[in-house]
Amino acid sequence: MKSLLITIFLLSAAFLNAQNTISGVVTEPSGVPIPGANIYLEGTYDGASSADDGTFSFTTTETGGQTLVVSFLSFETFTLSMDVTEMKGLKIKLKEDVNSLGSVILNAGTFSAGDNSKASVLTPLDIVTTAGAAGDYIGAFQTLPGTSTVAEDGRLFVRGGDANEANVYIDGLRVFQPFAATANNIPTRGRFSPFLFKGTNFSTGGYSAEYGDALSSVLLLNTIDEPEQEKTDLSFISVGLGIGNTQKWKNNSLSINAFYLNLKPYQEIISQRVDWIKPFESLSGEAVYRHQFDNGLFKLYGGLNYTDFELIQEDINVPEGINFGLKNRNLYINASYKGELGNDWRLATGASFANDHNDIKIEETNVDNDDNAAHLKIKLRKRFSNRFKLSFGAEQFLGNFKEEASIISFGNFQSSFKNNSTAAFSEANIFFNKKLAMQLGIRATHNTLLDFTKVSPRASLAYKIAEKSQVSLAYGDFYQAPQQDILKYNSSLDPEKSSHYILNYLYQNNGRTLRAEAYYKSYDRLAKFDTAMPEFGSNYNSSGDGYAAGLDVYWRDNKSIKNFEYWTSYSYLDTERDYRNYPERATPNFATSHNLSVVGKYWAKDWKSLISATYNFASGRPYTDPNTANFLGEKTRTFNSLNMSWAYLISQQKILFVSVSNVLGFDNVFNYQYANTPNVNGNFARRAIRPTADRFFIIGFFWTISDNKTDNQLDNL
Amino acid sequence: MRTIIILLSFFAITSVNSQAAYEKGMGKAFELWGNQKNDEAANLFERIGKAEKDNWLPYYYAAQIHIVTTFGIKDAEEIESRLTKAQNYLNEAKTFSKDNAEIVIMEAMLNTAYVVYDGAKYGMTHSGKVEELYQKAKIIEPENPRAILYHAEWQMGAAKFWGKDPKAFCPEIEKAILYFEKEPSNVPFYPDWGKNQIARIQENCK
Repeated sequence: MKSLLITIFLLSAAFLNAQNTISGVVTEPSGVPIPGANIYLEGTYDGASSADDGTFSFTTTETGGQTLVVSFLSFETFTLSMDVTEMKGLKIKLKEDVNSLGSVILNAGTFSAGDNSKASVLTPLDIVTTAGAAGDYIGAFQTLPGTSTVAEDGRLFVRGGDANEANVYIDGLRVFQPFAATANNIPTRGRFSPFLFKGTNFSTGGYSAEYGDALSSVLLLNTIDEPEQEKTDLSFISVGLGIGNTQKWKNNSLSINAFYLNLKPYQEIISQRVDWIKPFESLSGEAVYRHQFDNGLFKLYGGLNYTDFELIQEDINVPEGINFGLKNRNLYINASYKGELGNDWRLATGASFANDHNDIKIEETNVDNDDNAAHLKIKLRKRFSNRFKLSFGAEQFLGNFKEEASIISFGNFQSSFKNNSTAAFSEANIFFNKKLAMQLGIRATHNTLLDFTKVSPRASLAYKIAEKSQVSLAYGDFYQAPQQDILKYNSSLDPEKSSHYILNYLYQNNGRTLRAEAYYKSYDRLAKFDTAMPEFGSNYNSSGDGYAAGLDVYWRDNKSIKNFEYWTSYSYLDTERDYRNYPERATPNFATSHNLSVVGKYWAKDWKSLISATYNFASGRPYTDPNTANFLGEKTRTFNSLNMSWAYLISQQKILFVSVSNVLGFDNVFNYQYANTPNVNGNFARRAIRPTADRFFIIGFFWTISDNKTDNQLDNL
Repeated sequence: MRTIIILLSFFAITSVNSQAAYEKGMGKAFELWGNQKNDEAANLFERIGKAEKDNWLPYYYAAQIHIVTTFGIKDAEEIESRLTKAQNYLNEAKTFSKDNAEIVIMEAMLNTAYVVYDGAKYGMTHSGKVEELYQKAKIIEPENPRAILYHAEWQMGAAKFWGKDPKAFCPEIEKAILYFEKEPSNVPFYPDWGKNQIARIQENCK
């Protein structure tokens, strides 16, 4: 026994000293040597770094089957299991890591902002310091190509699409009423405060199969996963007051915001074209709660918004004007969970719910409506390798709309509909190598109200043509149910359809970005009716169609001039459509052929000031002059606006902010309203539809209270 | 009994061997690092980390090498891949040692590296993080000289930017010097760097 043990002991010792030499060469697939790669036997100290010519050699006392690991920055880790005695003269080719910087990006049709995404065009700071945007995400996106300046509306008009063709999502879940309630010709704003979001994806076409029910565009907002610190933010603005507070404890955090806005004092100082009876007043509150699990993150977002105003709307047919009043109450709740399931599976699931209530008074007419909507979604993603990822999921939309209109001389009218739909989607991301990538997706939707089932394919391909530049192609079919104003009277229509074809060129080089995108979009089965407005007795059909084609160019430069950055966007748009009550195909009033935005920001260090200017130009917008025979045959004068803002940092936590829109006072005209009947000379008289005021200015003071003295509200401006 | 003794001594020998291998490996890695062979040193630290399985120190140093290296290079692609790699090493380190002030300080360094590399892109998001991490490190170890010294340097940078007097943070440096002297060194290879940066940071106090 004793001798046996000693023998084993000696043998083990001998094993410890037995040496094997492991050698080889590490190269790229093309054969170019990789110096500095880390080569080692898993679980041991034995290893080496490759030399300048890619060769390596080291000795080991390990025996038998072992795993050799080769790792290097920006390459995929390589493993090889075999007997150590055979690990000689190895020729190891490392594959490039397709997730590293410098890889091709699938980006046709999308603009990413923030999020440190590779294709980012705007940082969160850009969004909030853009003059004219006044802290509204939507305002900042209007300086990107592909959008049309429709200043009296405030929503996004993308590539010849009207504002109803764009949808907004928060953390993957639909926001049903993303814009604040407003009156005709008074621009709206996004309901949510920008500092809740870490990143945004704005698709101007060809978006992912995960999203549907939008013909033109989706705007995807992602909330912050974890706030940096506890703090209290106070804001005093010439038109309102705000307070925010963030608390963190253990794996939880809670952020609360409240804002009160009242335009009455402002409108008493600055004369308005609109005769306000009760100026715009709103109270809004938002809260985000987050809980970090071991393998996932739960977020709960809730927002409540109350808006109230009354005004006399000018009308050429009614000399004394039309009395219009609105009270809106909006509740939005969004709960989401994202987590790892192990084995490279990821789960994203959640639900959103919205209740929107409007109490509208138009002269003698009272309209009360209630819109309840919900979205439930589950999505799974499996990462098979860095090169192949597959995601699939299902979602359910529930919509219930009720409206009651009472007209004193006529009586009551009721309308309601339930718009429910179910969808399933799947998408594959395939990276052939660092230069070539493809995304293939498919989405199937069934709508129970209109009783249709549609399958839409989506595909995009990206190829890197040189170190700094790439080209992409994208194609997709998109379906959308007709809008609420039609659905409440008719539910036998087809879904509206669009198809997008996109060719994109991207050049990125050290703080300079050039993006050029040419597209063609066809519209089919658009809803039509035969009255001035959709009504109970109108005849409806789905025979509308149209097209949009154009070129978008974006250039950004952060490097050439110190402390100065600028970007410029130009869009050319050629579009015609026959929809709603159009007698023929025509370019709609919201579409402008040429759109230009130039945004510049200068950080004046000595003045501790960020000075920002935005110039917007849009060519004339089509309108119909009943004195001529042409439908939408005339054009307004061009739109011009120069906006400026100045943020002065009194100290790290106190900021003074001044912003003026349309500094030069351009007299802009959006459209004309003509009289219903000709005057004595046989001419139809008209009035111009113009902004409620040529200029708008804001003075604000922002104060952050936190332990961290370096924080401020620059991101809230 | 004898058998047990022999067996025990056998295990003792192997464990002494592995301890010796660890010390030899770490020693070799520091030597490579000292000789400016940064990538080789980081590679060796990574190998030791992988072999040790429950020791945070090798990953900590592998991360430190990548972070420090980015201060001397300009290529965006390389900086981002090094910082990503460093973050992965720190994440590994954190799984072996929770609430470790040294790892938290290194993470503050990592976030500082992002701000230094591209202030316009990362200044807003990462500055708050740096501050938060230094405060967290000070809560875990109120007398950690690196937390105090580098937090002071970070705050001095901010003060200069805002046109304020960075001298307000000079007493912190004095505190750091004191704690450097008091710093115990029981664990082999435990972080003890930073002392020779005092003079550079104190330049702000003149």
